[in-house]
Formats: sequence, structure tokens, C-alpha cells
Amino acid sequence: MSISILETKNLTHIYSKGTTSQVDAIRDISLKIEKGELVGIIGHTGSGKSTLIQHFNGLLKGTSGTVLLDGRDIWEDKSKIRNVRFRVGICFQYPEYQLFEETVYKDIAFGPTNMRLDEKEIDRRVRNVIKFVGLDESYLEKSPFDLSGGEKRRVAIAGVMAMEPDVLILDEPCAGLDPRGRDTVLSLIRDYRSSTGSTVLVVSHSMEDISKIATRVLVMNESRLAYYDTVDGVFSHSEELKKMGLNIPVLTSLFLRLKEKGYNVRTDIYTAEKACDELLSLLKGGSVE
Amino acid sequence: MKNYIEFDGVCFAYEEDNEIPAAENVIENMSLKIEKGDFVAVLGHNGCGKSTLAKLCNAILVPQQGKVYIDGIDTADEERIYDIRQRVGMVFQNPDNQIVATVVEDDVAFGPENLGVEPAEIRKRVDEALRDVGMYDFRFFEPHKLSGGQKQRVAIAGIIAMKPDCIVLDEPTAMLDPRGRREVMDTVKRLNEEYGITVIFITHYMDEAVRANRVIVMDKGKILLDGAPKEVFVNTDTLKDIGLDIPEATELTHLLIGKGIDLPEDILDIDELYSHIIRLTEEKN
Repeated sequence: MSISILETKNLTHIYSKGTTSQVDAIRDISLKIEKGELVGIIGHTGSGKSTLIQHFNGLLKGTSGTVLLDGRDIWEDKSKIRNVRFRVGICFQYPEYQLFEETVYKDIAFGPTNMRLDEKEIDRRVRNVIKFVGLDESYLEKSPFDLSGGEKRRVAIAGVMAMEPDVLILDEPCAGLDPRGRDTVLSLIRDYRSSTGSTVLVVSHSMEDISKIATRVLVMNESRLAYYDTVDGVFSHSEELKKMGLNIPVLTSLFLRLKEKGYNVRTDIYTAEKACDELLSLLKGGSVE
Repeated sequence: MKNYIEFDGVCFAYEEDNEIPAAENVIENMSLKIEKGDFVAVLGHNGCGKSTLAKLCNAILVPQQGKVYIDGIDTADEERIYDIRQRVGMVFQNPDNQIVATVVEDDVAFGPENLGVEPAEIRKRVDEALRDVGMYDFRFFEPHKLSGGQKQRVAIAGIIAMKPDCIVLDEPTAMLDPRGRREVMDTVKRLNEEYGITVIFITHYMDEAVRANRVIVMDKGKILLDGAPKEVFVNTDTLKDIGLDIPEATELTHLLIGKGIDLPEDILDIDELYSHIIRLTEEKN
């Protein structure tokens, strides 16, 4: 049996334990994430998503339970936790607020420099990722503060990618972007995974975005793991998701309603093109001509 | 109906230091009339001039050419700047950047206090405003303990406590989760319907734009499309060309029409499309 890249066993985190403001942020989470997956993490605000991802690279330590990276407890040797943070990179929400260097080059190089890589390797990585995020090398000498919102976002993501982590975690990478910016970032994430084979975790509120890029979906609800399954598997629980305050993609909801009404249609539909094909076979198929 | 906001040949460019010639116009010869009590959604990708348009509505910015009139008052008239700011309130994108006090009700009182409103009247307005946005039960809370949607509603309460005629909201839902987005949109919709407050709602979300009475699509500082949601969203190709989303139901409808299926082209929501599909399958059998 192969070893999962990331695994949690009965992971629980309680904030302010023993005080009146005690909050169970995550409870008894056990899950296995396989190498190369692109996992969408959903759940409404306060469901425990952010707390959960901060355990994956040891920014938080569970009150109980364990986190395994490549089968080894990340807290096995406390002095090595820094290496875990190089292997599991987190790009937080609104990462552009964390840009701080004089130039884009220095900002992207910050992570690799902390990893004590040699200058040549740092240079290779910086030049590689800037192109990867769709900006040319002329950006490297600019101040990050002179860039547009969408460009800043991409530079900030590039800074985490430059560490070449085995697991890349992005918290709401598309929040606040316009539709074009959002599409750019989504395809960037997809390309990153397919070209590097890395495992990628994306936290998002948008079911549409998740349905388009994820291979699996993890749903958090009231501090617990509600589902961890394929995209189709998770969206088949539309009623339960609604009760959790989550919306299923609009197009999927159309097919679920048709199915409920007794029509023989597929329900694993997430794009307008697929929806069109499926409706055409419903409307044209089986007719007596 | 009376025009409440009027743009007459407005041009605006941000002046940058050491830059000659001056930067290009962000707003290019724009003329626009908005009626009192209307609910207008403004769409457009980043950098198209939406936020500049918003700031021109309450004299944060003043046009270099042309005029902006609010309730008949010229925004370039510095003497009347407070009359304009009292009439048009602004709500911005980031809820954390617009809360000034440490207790919710103090924050809501900040605006009317600055307008010199009598204390008893302030008390009354703050309570009313918090009830109007559904945040009265949270009046003693510390703002940082609220969700994003709740903070935005507090920001809106702070505006309506100044009794404005018009609220301009610049992507108020961009940083919120689906629940927060719904709370904010429902609140603004109710203020518009119950009190007749004129609303200008800037957004990237099509599901919000379809709830407006009028949709304005901007591109490169100009108005590209302007009309009722059904009139605007039939222009799927134009919208796609400038990088905007189309409501999913509309996009699917247009694909189906392209394949010869008989559907009205102005379908905006999925319920509407669902009924048509049912109709078509029943006709077939």
C-alpha cells in the first residue's frame, strides 16, 4: 500500500481550552490526501477550514491527534518543523498584503533564501516562477507596490511556488479578483499541478471554481469533516450541503432538479458546454423522427 | 422621474508626479443620468473606471472636464461638499478598513456625530439604522468579533444613520463568503425598496447584478452597455470579449439556441431555464 503524502489522525484543535471562551475549531479529523491530488476545501466561514490547513505545515499544533507528512509525524522532531514548512507551502488569503520587499525579485527570493539555497538556484527559481505566473522578467526589478491587484496576487503566489513545496496550499486564491483575474489564477493552479506533479490544496467559497479544477473535495462543517470524496460524490449530497449553508454549482442544481423530476440525466455537470450536450441529448434523443 | 445623479461629459485622469503628458483618462467623456430611487449595478473588469465613477459621485474626486451634479448640486462647488457627502454615502470593499470605533454602536454614531446631529437624535438614528441592517442585537459587540458580512452591514448602518438619499457601494461583497454576500445584497435591496434610497452597486458577481433594475457595463472609462438586466445580458459575446462573466443560465441558454433549441434569449436564472426545459420535453412527447 502506498503512503499518502498528507494524513491526519483524529486531529483536534481547541482554542482557549479550559476557559469560558473555549472553541472547538476542528474535531476528530482523519483523512488521507494522495500525492498529486488537487483538493478543493470548502465550508462556510468558521467551519474550521483555515485552522485545519495551518496544521498541515505545523503553524498550529493539534490539541490532540497527529499530522503525518509522507507517513512521518511532523512533530516527531520539533527542531525539524522548519523543514516541514519548506515542504508544505501555504499561501494565505490576500497574500499581496504580505509583499514587503523593494523589488519583485527580492520578494520572490525571500522563501528560497530562507531555505539557504545557493544564489544560482535561487535565481533559477525566481526566473522560472515569474514566467510561470504569466509575467515577464521585466517585472523582477519593479517595486511590488507598483503592480495592479491581480499582478500582486500572482507575485505573492509565485513567492510560495519558488520554494517548490511538495504540497502547495492556497487559501482563497481568487478572492476579490475580477472574472479575468480569477480565470488566470485558476488555470495557473491547474498548470502548476500538472507540470510539477505537486499536491495542491485550494480553499474556496466558490463551488463553481472548485468543480472546475479539483480532483477531490473536502467539506468542513461545524469543525468536523463532513465529506472527503470526488467532486461528483460530494455534490450528490446537495440537500445536506444546502443545510450547511453551501451552494452547489448552479448548473449542477439544474440537472439534480431534472433528475428528481424523473428525467434520465447525468448530474456530474459543471460546465456550460457539458450541460448543453446533456440537454441536447435529453431534448433531441429518443424522439421519433 | 427626477434625475438624482447626472454626469455631463465627464473626463477624469489621475495626475501622477513627473508624468508629462498627464496619464490617460480613466473616465472618458461620460454622460449618465440616474433616477432617484433606482438600483443600478455597475460591472466591468479591474481598471475599467468603476471605482473612479463611484468616487466622482460624492466629490472624493472632481472631474477635470465636464460636470457631475448630485441632486442638482455641482460636485465642483467646494462650499457644498458636505451637502453632497450627506446625500451620497459610500461603502468600500474591505470591511476592516472602514470601521473606526471599538463598539458597533459607536461606529454607527460616527457619521451623524460629524454632521453635528443632536445627541438624542443620534441615539434614535443609530438604533434605527442597526435595526434596518439586522445588526441591533450586536450593538454592544466589538467589530473585530463580527463576520465580514456583519461588518459590511455595520458599515452600511453607519451610512444610513446619516440619512443619505443615495448609497454607492464599491464591490462591497468581494471579500465575503456566500452567506455574507447574500446578507449584504438583501440588506441593500430592502433599503432601496422600503426607503427609496438610490443605490449604485459595483460588483463582479453576475447573480448580484441580475437583481438590479438597471445594469451599466463599463470598459476603458466608457459605458459599453446600459439597460435592464435582461437587455444587457443577452449581449454574451460583448461581455465575454471584455472578460466578464455571464450568468450561467444565460450562457447555457445561448449555447442551446446555437444548437437550434427554441428558447428565449434573455433567460437570466436557472429556475426560468428549468421551466423552459420542462416545457420543451413535454412538447416533445
